[in-house]
Amino acid sequence: MRLSKVSFRYSRRGPWVLRELDLTLAPGTVIEVTGKNGAGKSTLLRLLAGIVPPSRGTVSQRPRVVGYAPDVFPVGQPFTVTAYLTHMAEIRGISPDAIARLAERLEATHLLGQPLGDLSKGSAQKVGLIQSLLAPPDLLILDEPFAGLDAHTRGELPAMIGEIAAKGGTVVVSDHQNQLENFPGADHWLVAGGTVTTQQGERPKQVVIEVLVDAAEADEVEQKLQADGYTTRRTP
Amino acid sequence: MIPLVRFKLAAYTRSHRLLQPVIALCAMLAIFYSSPGPALESYSDSAALLIIVFAWAAKSLLDTEPPTQRLISMTAAGNPRREVVSGLAAAFTVNLGLATVAVVAPLLIRFGALPPPGDLARGVGLHLLGVCVGTALGALASAPILTSPATSLVVLFGGYVAMLLLSLTPIGGFLVPIMPWMRATNSGKLDEVLPQIAAATLLWSAAGVLAYLRLRRTRP
Repeated sequence: MRLSKVSFRYSRRGPWVLRELDLTLAPGTVIEVTGKNGAGKSTLLRLLAGIVPPSRGTVSQRPRVVGYAPDVFPVGQPFTVTAYLTHMAEIRGISPDAIARLAERLEATHLLGQPLGDLSKGSAQKVGLIQSLLAPPDLLILDEPFAGLDAHTRGELPAMIGEIAAKGGTVVVSDHQNQLENFPGADHWLVAGGTVTTQQGERPKQVVIEVLVDAAEADEVEQKLQADGYTTRRTP
Repeated sequence: MIPLVRFKLAAYTRSHRLLQPVIALCAMLAIFYSSPGPALESYSDSAALLIIVFAWAAKSLLDTEPPTQRLISMTAAGNPRREVVSGLAAAFTVNLGLATVAVVAPLLIRFGALPPPGDLARGVGLHLLGVCVGTALGALASAPILTSPATSLVVLFGGYVAMLLLSLTPIGGFLVPIMPWMRATNSGKLDEVLPQIAAATLLWSAAGVLAYLRLRRTRP
């Protein structure tokens, strides 16, 4: 899938949210998208999912089956979890058999009979994930999927993402919590100032070392460390 | 696309929002048929005045789905356009149901005898025109287009009143000719002007729907 010179704004006179993006998404890749609030991450995900067309430029070779899980699942709907997911399966034209399997994997079986309106944030997030995975996606787009999830699902989700990528699917995850920071081989995209900076492969792992020095020597030590290329932060 | 239409109809009926236009329909039918009158004239007034109920029903159906669910439905359906068209189809379906009640109820409880088949067909046709205009107006006033509830209500009711008033002007026959079709029926000249009235009404309805489709491209 390829984005060529893609720019986007919500109205003809509105400000550009994203400008002149040239991006390639190869099959089998996992991409973690980060950026400040309001940087345009969700807009970028919607462009990738085909929900909104670019104002300028083209998006080509988008895979056929797209799974999309929003950052906040809309619980204000008059259905039980099972009824809702069955409707989603019918809309996708697939059998609802996958519901039970996915619910078991995400420890959501006990939620199936509950009304959507009774779900907690984490439980609702699981329903959002299940609907996005009902048909094995060629392109899976997850907007802040880890928010509110329990420890089991936070651990299971990267494994599921890895399985989809291993089968040739592309996975794009907007991730404020950096849960995919150490995901093997993941690309990292930073959205800022209307552009996307890409970094391929594994990001170098960083640690914080605290160094205690005499106050009189602090300036000298800090200058030495900075001269060696390290980032320093002084605490009183 | 049919499963998506079914999903939208299920969400709408289960949300009980359907009750509002149904109650409005019943109240208006009770007023229209409180005194006896010729079937065709009654049908003509009913079709013209129920446009606001059809618009309200279309708007409330399109407002029912949370905005984020529309995004999910767009990806599940494989194409945003399918989600938008399914919404219009679901609104049209609900309005066909309301129009059926508006045509059949007086047959059962008001008209002493079955009207001539020609009058019945004209009544059905005029209600279909009302459904087309009402669905288009309701779609343009719906939450995906106008996020402010106050603005959308002003557009909904203001739009209908404007259509009524403009149809009284000399160019009314070329706009949505609501008043001309009521006057023509009352003066027994409906057949003479029906083709022009139908063409103008369908044209403006199609223009409204096309505008809605266009606006929804950047308003998912």
